[in-house]
Amino acid sequence: MGLLDAFDPREASPTTDGILTNRGRFGILALIAALAVLGPIAASVRPFWLYLLVQILAFALLALSLDFVFGYAGLLSFGHAAMFGAGGYAVALLVTHVTPNALVVLPAAVLTGVVVAAFIGWFSVRARGIYFAMLTLAFAQIFYVAAFADLPASILGVETITGGDNGLVGLAALEAFGVVDLSSRLNYYFLTLALVALSLLAIVRIANSPFGRVLQGVRENEDRMAFIGYDVERYKVIGFAISGGFAGLAGGLYVPFQSLAQPQLLHWTLSGELVVMLLLGGLGTLWGPMLGAGVVILLEEQLSGFAAWEVILGAVFVVVVVFAPQGLAGVLVSLRDDPKDALGNVRDALANYREKVLK
Amino acid sequence: MSEPLLRTDSVTKRFGKLTAVSDVSLSIPEGGISSIIGPNGAGKTTLFNLFTGKHAPTEGSIEFRGDPIGGLEPHEIVGRGIVRSFQITNFFAELSALENVRLATQADRTGFAPDDFLAHHASLSEATDEAEAVLERIGLLDVADRTAANLAYGQRRHLEIGIALATGPDLLLMDEPTAGMGPEQTDATVSLIENIAEDATVVLIEHDMEIVMNVSERIAVMNNGELIARGTPDEISRNEAVQRAYLGGE
Ligand SMILES: Nc1ncnc2c1ncn2[C@@H]1O[C@H](COP(=O)(O)OP(=O)(O)OP(=O)(O)O)[C@@H](O)[C@H]1O
Ligand SMILES: [Mg+2]
Repeated sequence: MGLLDAFDPREASPTTDGILTNRGRFGILALIAALAVLGPIAASVRPFWLYLLVQILAFALLALSLDFVFGYAGLLSFGHAAMFGAGGYAVALLVTHVTPNALVVLPAAVLTGVVVAAFIGWFSVRARGIYFAMLTLAFAQIFYVAAFADLPASILGVETITGGDNGLVGLAALEAFGVVDLSSRLNYYFLTLALVALSLLAIVRIANSPFGRVLQGVRENEDRMAFIGYDVERYKVIGFAISGGFAGLAGGLYVPFQSLAQPQLLHWTLSGELVVMLLLGGLGTLWGPMLGAGVVILLEEQLSGFAAWEVILGAVFVVVVVFAPQGLAGVLVSLRDDPKDALGNVRDALANYREKVLK
Repeated sequence: MSEPLLRTDSVTKRFGKLTAVSDVSLSIPEGGISSIIGPNGAGKTTLFNLFTGKHAPTEGSIEFRGDPIGGLEPHEIVGRGIVRSFQITNFFAELSALENVRLATQADRTGFAPDDFLAHHASLSEATDEAEAVLERIGLLDVADRTAANLAYGQRRHLEIGIALATGPDLLLMDEPTAGMGPEQTDATVSLIENIAEDATVVLIEHDMEIVMNVSERIAVMNNGELIARGTPDEISRNEAVQRAYLGGE
C-alpha cells in the first residue's frame, strides 16, 4: 500500500489552475521547434535517428493518451495496448486492402481507438482501482489472442485477416492524394510531429474544459460526484473513449512507419511498459509521460545490446520511484523553481520511502 | 393537507441477516425542517441511503412528488431534486473550496455537448458566480482558494453542506451537520440550516436534542430500524416509547 501511495495521481497533478503555465507552454513550443529542426539534421547525419524519433513520438502520444485518463480521471488502464494495436491494425488492413491515403487511414485509426476504448470502457468502468486495471488488461489480451490466432479469419471463414503471429508485413507507404510523399522518412517524421503536437494541444484543451474538470472530480471522489448529480460511469466511458482515440492514432502513426503490424502491439507487456513511462515521466502532468516515453525508448535502444536491459530499466524505474515519486517532470519542475530545494526533495522522498515502504 | 413531498411505504432494507431499516412508512411535507432522531445504529443514515439511491430498498416503495424513486441511481435522484450531505465529510480533498462547490453548480450545465469539451472551464462564469454565492452563504468566501483538505474542521463541515446546497435541491437531507462542533460553530450551523430551510425542505439527522427540539417542525424517531414515533417536538418529548428507547438512555 505504501508503495502505491507514491503513485497516487493526485500527488502529481495540478488542481486549481490550468495544466500548463505560460512558461510551460513556451517550453513545449520550443521543444517542438527543436524537434522540427532536429529532423532534417537526423535525416542527413544518421537516418536511423529519424526512425527512433518517430518511435519516440508515437509512444509519447500513447503515453499522453494514458495520462489523460489515469492522471485526470484516475482510471489506471493496463490495456492501452488494445487501442494502440487496434489503431495500428486498422491502418495496416486499410493500406493492404483499401487505400494508403493518410487522410483516410489516420482518421480510421482514431475512430478504431475510440470504438475499442468505448467497448472496453463500457464493460470495465463499473470496476474500480486494481479491478479496473485487471479488466482492461484482460480485454487487451483478448485482442492480442484474436490477432495472434487470427480469430477474425476463422470466424469469417477466410484464409487470413490479421496475418496471425507474423502480422501484416511489407505495408505500402502512406500518401496524401499524391501531393505529399509520405514514403520519405523525413516527411513522415514531420507529419508525426505535427499530429503529436496537435494531440497535445487538444488534450490540454479537453483537460481544461468543463468536462475535464468533471473527470478531475471523478478522480478525487467519484462517489460524491454521483451524489451531486453526475452520471459518473458515462463520464468515465467517454473519457476513456477519447483517450482511446489518441492511442489509436499513436498506433496508426507507428505501424506505417514500421510497415509492419504485429500482435506484439497488443500485448500486455506494451501496456506495462507504458505505465512505466508514465510513472517515470510524472503522472498527471501530460508532458512528463511524453518525456518518460522518450527516456524509455532511448534506454531500450542504447541497452538492448545487453541481454538484461530490462534489469537496467527496472533499476532506473526503482530509483525514480524512490527518489522522485513525481517522476522526471517533478524533478525538472523543482530544479527550475529552486535547485537547492530539489536536493531537499530527494531527501524528503527518501525519508518518505523509508517511512511508508520499509517501515 | 397537500400531497407530501417524500413518502415511504413500508420501506425495509436488509444487509444479510441485519435489518437496518424495518417497515418504515413516513411522509415529509414540503417546506420547513423535519428531523430524524434515534440512537446509534438505529438506521437513520441507511434511510438517507435509500432516499438517495446508495441502496435500493429490499422491500417497500419511496415516492418523491408522487413518483417512485426507490432503486434509481444516485445521479438520477439528484436530478429529481433530492440531495444529501454526509455524516462523514465527503468532499474533493485536493481541490479548492471554490472548485468543490463549483463541481456542484456546474453539474447541470456540463453534459456532452461539444462546448463542454472545448471551452475553457473559466467560461463557466455563471457556475462560478453561483459557487461564490454559496461560499458566502456558508461563510467560506474568504477561504475560497484554499485546498479543502487544509480547511479547519468546522469549515469542512460547512463545505460538506455547501456542496449539497450548491446543486439547488428541493429537498436537502443533512446527516448530523453539527457533529463534533463546538458551541459557536454549532450556532452558526443551526442558523445556516434555518436559512437553507427558507427555500428548501430540510430533513435533519441530529443527535443534539436541543437543536432538534428548537428547529424542527416534525420529528420522526427510529430505533432498531423501526419508526417508533412521529410528531411535533412537544409530542415527541412526551412520548413514552421514545423516552424508553432514546431519551431515557441518555
Ligand atoms: N452497507 C452496510 N452493510 C452492512 N450493514 C450496514 C450497512 N450500512 C449500515 N449497516 C448497519 O445498519 C445499521 C444501521 O446503521 P445506520 O448507519 O443507518 O445507523 P445510524 O442510525 O445512522 O447510526 P449513527 O447515529 O451511529 O450514525 C447498523 O447496525 C449498521 O452497522
Ligand atoms: Mg448515521
